Amino acid sequence: MKRYLKALILILVCLAVLTPFASNCPDGLEKVAETLGIEEHTPAWTGLMSDYTLPTIDDPYVSTLLAGTFGIFLVLGVAFVLGIAVTKPDKR
Amino acid sequence: MHVPDGFLSPAICVLMYAISIAFLIWSWRKARFTYSRSLAPLLAVSSAFVFAAQMINFPILYGTSGHLVGGTFLSVILGPYAAILSMTVVLMMQALFFADGGIFTFGANVFNMAVIGGLSFFLVRFLTKDPKRSGRLFLSIFITSLVSVVLGALACGLQIGFSPVFSEAGGVAVTVPAMLFWHVLIGLGEAAITATLISQLHRLQPTVLSGLAILRGKLE
Repeated sequence: MKRYLKALILILVCLAVLTPFASNCPDGLEKVAETLGIEEHTPAWTGLMSDYTLPTIDDPYVSTLLAGTFGIFLVLGVAFVLGIAVTKPDKR
Repeated sequence: MHVPDGFLSPAICVLMYAISIAFLIWSWRKARFTYSRSLAPLLAVSSAFVFAAQMINFPILYGTSGHLVGGTFLSVILGPYAAILSMTVVLMMQALFFADGGIFTFGANVFNMAVIGGLSFFLVRFLTKDPKRSGRLFLSIFITSLVSVVLGALACGLQIGFSPVFSEAGGVAVTVPAMLFWHVLIGLGEAAITATLISQLHRLQPTVLSGLAILRGKLE
């Protein structure tokens, strides 16, 4: 279990280090839509943290880092429960 | 490559939901016979990694960026069935909490990234032949990562091209080549990152990777 904890810490550190260098340019699909003059509408459901930012925090780095950390633990938890649900207990 | 709501016609949304749900049921059933309980922490950490990696966009050309999709990465780590489920969790959390990818287009996003990504395992296996030769294995992973991103982009190009919003702008004749052009470049980034990550993990933790175990015929 210790190595998974290490991996998790490494993921969080990498996120904190690499976030400032992440590109804000449109991705492949957004670029295609942009080139064809198609605008993305404001979606019906905007989620709690649209574009990986917390609406209440002004500093973009802190905001993205907190949203990202929340997302990492959310995915971690849901995927772990799924992993339990989809496997049988080990026979000993 | 996350398709937002409003890009796809309702018919295509429904069709892609139906196809993706069929694959999810299949991978759930297969997973029950494939994995032991030790899958759970590996599934959790690798899903969390893919979520984090998808936040980091790398620039490619002409003011366009891309990010790791991670489908082939997950399929080599977890095997095809858990990889499909893992990526679906990531996409679901992105759609629900971060408005990254739409709710109605969720089925399409699951197909383009989770299903194609998970099934890319079989291409790795086909290309590798003898997985004990790690050079050949990493080359297969490199090629497969590129192919999985390009195939996902092809599927995405077809989905948007046949939807009314894009058909007025030229339809599939425009959307497919445009999607392929950008995603060959993004796919090369994906391939380099995936091959590097897997080779490092293979060096550090060769025993925990269920996907590699399946590749070597120890499971199933």
